[in-house]
Amino acid sequence: MDNFLNLNNLEGYFFIIIKILFIASSFIYLVFALIVVKQVTSMSKNVTDKFNFVLIAFSFIHLGFSILLILTMFGL
Amino acid sequence: MPRSKDLDTVAPDDEIVVSTPPKEIPPKEIPKSPPKEPLKKKDPIMEEKIKILNKEDFNQKIYNILGHTKTPFSAFLVRPKVLTFAERDEDEEIYLAVRPHWINNLSWIIISTIMLFVPLFFHYFTFLNFFPPKYQFSAILFWYLITFIYAFEKFLSWYFNLFLVTNERVVDIDFNNLLNKHFAEADLSAIQDVSSSVRGILGTFFNYGDVLIQTAAEINQINFEKIPNPEKIIKLLKELRESEEEKNHGGHLNG
Repeated sequence: MDNFLNLNNLEGYFFIIIKILFIASSFIYLVFALIVVKQVTSMSKNVTDKFNFVLIAFSFIHLGFSILLILTMFGL
Repeated sequence: MPRSKDLDTVAPDDEIVVSTPPKEIPPKEIPKSPPKEPLKKKDPIMEEKIKILNKEDFNQKIYNILGHTKTPFSAFLVRPKVLTFAERDEDEEIYLAVRPHWINNLSWIIISTIMLFVPLFFHYFTFLNFFPPKYQFSAILFWYLITFIYAFEKFLSWYFNLFLVTNERVVDIDFNNLLNKHFAEADLSAIQDVSSSVRGILGTFFNYGDVLIQTAAEINQINFEKIPNPEKIIKLLKELRESEEEKNHGGHLNG
């Protein structure tokens, strides 16, 4: 109990909470990135144009970066 | 001398009338009509040529009204070759595809640019130095992803927000916030009234505004917001409605 209230450990707890928040938010972001991919492909099916493949590629790159974000969060 | 009662006998003072036998009138020669030729079959090649010529004329008319724009990222695409939509019929031809005027993108472009440069000012906030570099890197990566997705979402909303005029109907396709799709259409024959409004300094300066189409269909009005050259769109719709009416009229006569 004394250890828990120790001010030196308080900083550690703070970073643990921050890490949990970061991981949770990056997971939410990953879900969002998946929705973006789904939506862009669906939009591209509805309206076909010359540059749709570029937009789909961007959405997948974004998904890749959001996975990278989760990995960096775990590495904290 | 008494007049003979007998009508068959002729009295001397009777005028002798010699009846001449009626001359046979030669039958009038009816001018012979030339032998009926078998009905000429319509030449399908000629018909096709006429159709093509009419179509070319009509296309030229459209170009005269709208001008030529072929850039795929343009907000005003005349007879786009590649662009198509899922609900399009096989023989349906897109005359015009319009997106909101590009000036409407200016606000999110400015905001995204500012967001891009925000991390450069992080070191001015001394409390952030409290975090280890790993945390800082993750936070910056997160920030840039949010910046990217903000700009990307705004771009997609603009890019896929289309107003289409085809040879059969007008179509409005909207995607709001990536999650909501809105599709509205009205046949050209169902259009009752078209009006436009250009408002504000930017609208007047860059010539963009709203076009409101009132229809006799279930969706009784379709509103296209902030689209460029509203007067050209009204002209085009008028032309198409007239041609549609002509077609219907011709169809009734022929039928």
